[in-house]
Amino acid sequence: MMMRFDMMHLRRHLRTMLCAAALAALAMPAHAQLTIDMTKPSFEPVPIAIVDFSGEAVGAQIAEVIRNDLQNCGLFRSISPSSFIERNVNANAAPRFPDWRSIGAQGLVVGQMSRIGGNIKVDFRLWDVVVGQQATGLSFTSQPNNWRRLGHIIADAIYKRVTGEEGYFDTRIAYVAETGPVTTRVKRIAIMDQDGANNRYITDGRTLAVTPRFSPTLQEIVYMAYSEGNSPPKVYLQNVDSGRRELLGNFPGMSFAPRFSPDGTKVAMSLSRDGNTDLYEMDLRGQTLRRLTNTPGIDTSPSYSPDGTQIVFNSDRGGTQQLYVMGANGGGERRISFGDGRYATPVWSPRGDFIAFTKIMGGTFGIGVMRPDGSGERLLTSGFLVEGPTWAPNGRVLAYFQQQRGGSVNLQQIDITGRFQRQIPTPTDASDPAWSPLIPQ
Amino acid sequence: MAGFELKLMHTMKTLYSRLLMLAVFALPSAAAAQRGNSVYVDDRLNQLQQSLTMLTGQIEQLQYQNQQLQQQMEKMRTDYDFRIDQLEKGRGGAPRPGPAAGPAPSAPAPSQQAAAAGPSASGDQLYHDAFKMLQEGDYAGAEKGFRTFVQRNPKHVLAGNAQYWLGETYYARRDYQNAMTAFAEGYKVYKNSPKGPDNLLKLGITLATLGRKSDACAVFARFTQDYPHATDLQKRRIDQERQRDSCG
Amino acid sequence: MRTIKALAAVAAMIFMAACSNNEQAAVPASTTVTPGSVADFKQNIGDRVFFDTDMSTVRSDGRGTLDKQATWLKQYTNYQITIEGHCDERGTREYNFALGERRANSVKQYLVAQGIPAARIQTISYGKERPIVPGSDEAAWAQNRVAITALQ
Repeated sequence: MMMRFDMMHLRRHLRTMLCAAALAALAMPAHAQLTIDMTKPSFEPVPIAIVDFSGEAVGAQIAEVIRNDLQNCGLFRSISPSSFIERNVNANAAPRFPDWRSIGAQGLVVGQMSRIGGNIKVDFRLWDVVVGQQATGLSFTSQPNNWRRLGHIIADAIYKRVTGEEGYFDTRIAYVAETGPVTTRVKRIAIMDQDGANNRYITDGRTLAVTPRFSPTLQEIVYMAYSEGNSPPKVYLQNVDSGRRELLGNFPGMSFAPRFSPDGTKVAMSLSRDGNTDLYEMDLRGQTLRRLTNTPGIDTSPSYSPDGTQIVFNSDRGGTQQLYVMGANGGGERRISFGDGRYATPVWSPRGDFIAFTKIMGGTFGIGVMRPDGSGERLLTSGFLVEGPTWAPNGRVLAYFQQQRGGSVNLQQIDITGRFQRQIPTPTDASDPAWSPLIPQ
Repeated sequence: MAGFELKLMHTMKTLYSRLLMLAVFALPSAAAAQRGNSVYVDDRLNQLQQSLTMLTGQIEQLQYQNQQLQQQMEKMRTDYDFRIDQLEKGRGGAPRPGPAAGPAPSAPAPSQQAAAAGPSASGDQLYHDAFKMLQEGDYAGAEKGFRTFVQRNPKHVLAGNAQYWLGETYYARRDYQNAMTAFAEGYKVYKNSPKGPDNLLKLGITLATLGRKSDACAVFARFTQDYPHATDLQKRRIDQERQRDSCG
Repeated sequence: MRTIKALAAVAAMIFMAACSNNEQAAVPASTTVTPGSVADFKQNIGDRVFFDTDMSTVRSDGRGTLDKQATWLKQYTNYQITIEGHCDERGTREYNFALGERRANSVKQYLVAQGIPAARIQTISYGKERPIVPGSDEAAWAQNRVAITALQ
């Protein structure tokens, strides 16, 4: 029904390129200067120079993808290529470090591209300009039309080398694309690359579709959609490549708030019946349904712990919306939020160390994090209406959406310290982001 | 301190009885359903539902407060022990607490600063810093500090105290296994230190917490013979614990 | 027969207007709508009830409306009913689906208690996805915390 993704055959060669004899002397230093400790209370973004890759026309565009990724994450400052002194850098030899030091660069990225059969290959190096040594060097191969992914994968490698954290650039974001007046707004599911490229629509907009969530392999998404007529909205599972979609279970009432288990074999969701809403788990293999909660009140927004043993969810069983954690089989429910205000949309970090949430305090909304036992609550941002955090796969960056007075909505990104916030560009108004895991290679 | 818990229990009981009352009142209106007055029944059920929800929320809050209070009490108790310790040392550093040193509350409570100043006479910064961390709840830091202190100064006049507080850093974190080892070590090596009686007391309490009641009783039994000159407060604590563990 | 009914309706309105001087005068359009029509239901009965923030209990002003709805629906049995629950924008999306459902269901329960067969009534929640009026102020939010009885 919709577009196909070219699930690329990207082969990653995790071999360093210390092949040339000249480079043998440049062994990895024990304590390179080029590092960022993200836990420090403050630091300056690392100035980094990324030279257009040589050997293929697309090399300049790949370098631009890398510049954008690194600049947008807040930890790097991409030095404008117009200020570069050394031109025509040889990607296979050491650069003239004084030239790069004099423009303030601490890191330098160079790349050499070549063709292997029908594929393109990149050999790239990250130089630690301060100590004058190679920090990392890797080579990657891909189909020519997937050159953007090459850029993201290299940006991830640089991010990892410098911060010690996994990168998150080779990922996608599913979201709700919104158009038209507030009262008759068209809402459809869209998927784009993390940097806004390759935007495409997954539903056609004839009926409202919201709350998209990725499967761990990115092959499928679950979301809630209305049907034409008056029947209640339901949860659907859709194959992203083929566009084929199926109704997840056929229940009399409304089903919503779906979320995949970390192993992708189950989907937890809310079912409403006679005004009461409980959590259920659907086993995708057997299509069997299991009840997880049974309380008067609304239980919704389930999210699994990364090991799949627990579920955090939202419930108003105590009079106001609060966060609760229970075993993944149901039972052992305990409340973890006790601050002032209401708490909603909990999402467990892929690392397991935090739970992000929406907090409603009087007339203000906030996005915050707390530890899974409820301690260490911290607000990252607040505003008239901010909602629905989702974790980047490294568990250090979040996306959420922000609504202005009057109804216009957009996507935002913030790191876990709350220091770096930026709008994620989308072609239309956008809400309800869902950040994918790293794209399988 | 027990007053808090009593108050909480009382509030919970009141809440449950209110819930019961509601249930009783709702039942007659169920009969009204037979007569067709179902709007009324729905109303009553909705009210009942709302009350149940409200009670659930209140019970959650109370349980949370109770848990917070317990943690706070444990912290206060450590702090209290610490202050007594300081007061004892304040009297010319008398190594053996005389009977008069017992109930500290009668003495004017030293300010936080004064208490934290620690054994300034000895000038031992390591001990002092470890205490400060203990007071601030940095148990891991305090653990490291006390352990280092004991290793470096096994013969120091404060070594027995440091060993005792090392045990407390584990106890406060509910790491009873390590707490037991530390207290036992304190009792064995620093039997005659000013903290000897406290070491023995806490060793017994920790054993009881680990479910080893008979071992705990055996430990308490040695108290009178080992520490005939213990303070009244210490003797009372031992009696209390013996009762709690139903020691013979 | 129809004339008598219309007369009775007019008389009733005069009576109501006389009794409650606080109420606004009867809607003049009522003379032009066909009794038993969807327009009649909307204009003369009222198709919606409003809710307090985060609540799903029918308020006393809503009860009056629902009592009238029930009477009308018992008279005109040819309609199926869908109750649409809505929320204002001051909540989170997923929770509001459930809250809208709860509101729609409160109205359904009330109508069933008044003798409307449950089989005639469907419910659907729009959460905060389909606000009735645009705007981000209390006046708009009050209009959007609503359950609307739609006739088919």
